[in-house]
Amino acid sequence: MTFWLTLTGMVAVTFGSRYAGLALQTELPDFWIRFLHFVPIAVFAALVAPSLQGNRAEWGIRVAAAAMAALAAWGTRQLWVALAVGMAVFWLLRIPF
Amino acid sequence: MAEAGKNEAFARGFWILAPLWLGVVPFGLAYAVTARSAGLSLLETQALSTFVFAGSAQLSAVGLFATGAAGLEIVLTTLLLNVRHVLYGLSLGRELSLTRRQRPIAAYFLTDEAFGVVSAADERSFPFVLGAELSLFMVWNLATIGGFLLGAAIPDPARLGVDLIFPLAFLAILVPLVRTRVELVVAMASGALAFGLARVLPGGLPILLTGVGGSLLGASLSRRTPPQRRIDPDDAVSEVA
Repeated sequence: MTFWLTLTGMVAVTFGSRYAGLALQTELPDFWIRFLHFVPIAVFAALVAPSLQGNRAEWGIRVAAAAMAALAAWGTRQLWVALAVGMAVFWLLRIPF
Repeated sequence: MAEAGKNEAFARGFWILAPLWLGVVPFGLAYAVTARSAGLSLLETQALSTFVFAGSAQLSAVGLFATGAAGLEIVLTTLLLNVRHVLYGLSLGRELSLTRRQRPIAAYFLTDEAFGVVSAADERSFPFVLGAELSLFMVWNLATIGGFLLGAAIPDPARLGVDLIFPLAFLAILVPLVRTRVELVVAMASGALAFGLARVLPGGLPILLTGVGGSLLGASLSRRTPPQRRIDPDDAVSEVA
């Protein structure tokens, strides 16, 4: 029973967070329109930077793989190309010499 | 919009997320294995994936269940991890016109990944967004049941290095969004801030704080309102007609 009660709470706070922003349909002052323009940029930078480090001692090759993936993304604008390049670089550099 | 056009937009959204399956599957498998070893049943493990549908919150919740944490503690952790979605909703809501009925549906399936690929794409429509969202939902739920049934036979995603898929994908989404000097400054400052915050704060909180901080910085540094990228096939048609 505790599980299902907890699950209900988790659904409420998760759906609440997801719905709150979408439901708010008001005219915003200029400053906040500019603010929202930068949200994806700030959020994706925040999702990338801490997780590049990884748990194992391989942050160097993870950063190298990310740099190549970023270049691929810049050149091709294709998500799958960037992922393929990044993972290929990562797995190649990971082979111990 | 014609029914066929809607189906095509849905399919485009569905497939635009497909490269991320490579990262979602091992993550979902790992979640299910962790849930199983925490003592959850298949039904409970699957219910979290179907009703909560938030990877990092589910993973931390099953970890907390294993330690016998109180339900309230688990719910509050979930809130901390997921409150960042308020920002996604605000950002999407400005660029996408949704009806009253579409809004809760688009909200229910909203994730980092779907928000990301939609932000980076040139297309804005409800079927497109829903396609991207359901693509992740389907694979996440299939990976959950697969992981639970396969159990301990599954290798740790971090050992394979597939946990790198997500930062790489978010980076690939970020790169085309950065076009001006202010945008570059915001991206660099946000990365540095999140890196620092992640050392002292749990899970979703650094993302939320950085999302707010970075966007405040951007809004303060830019004087003019950026052109809005509102692209809706319906609008385009009505403008032509």
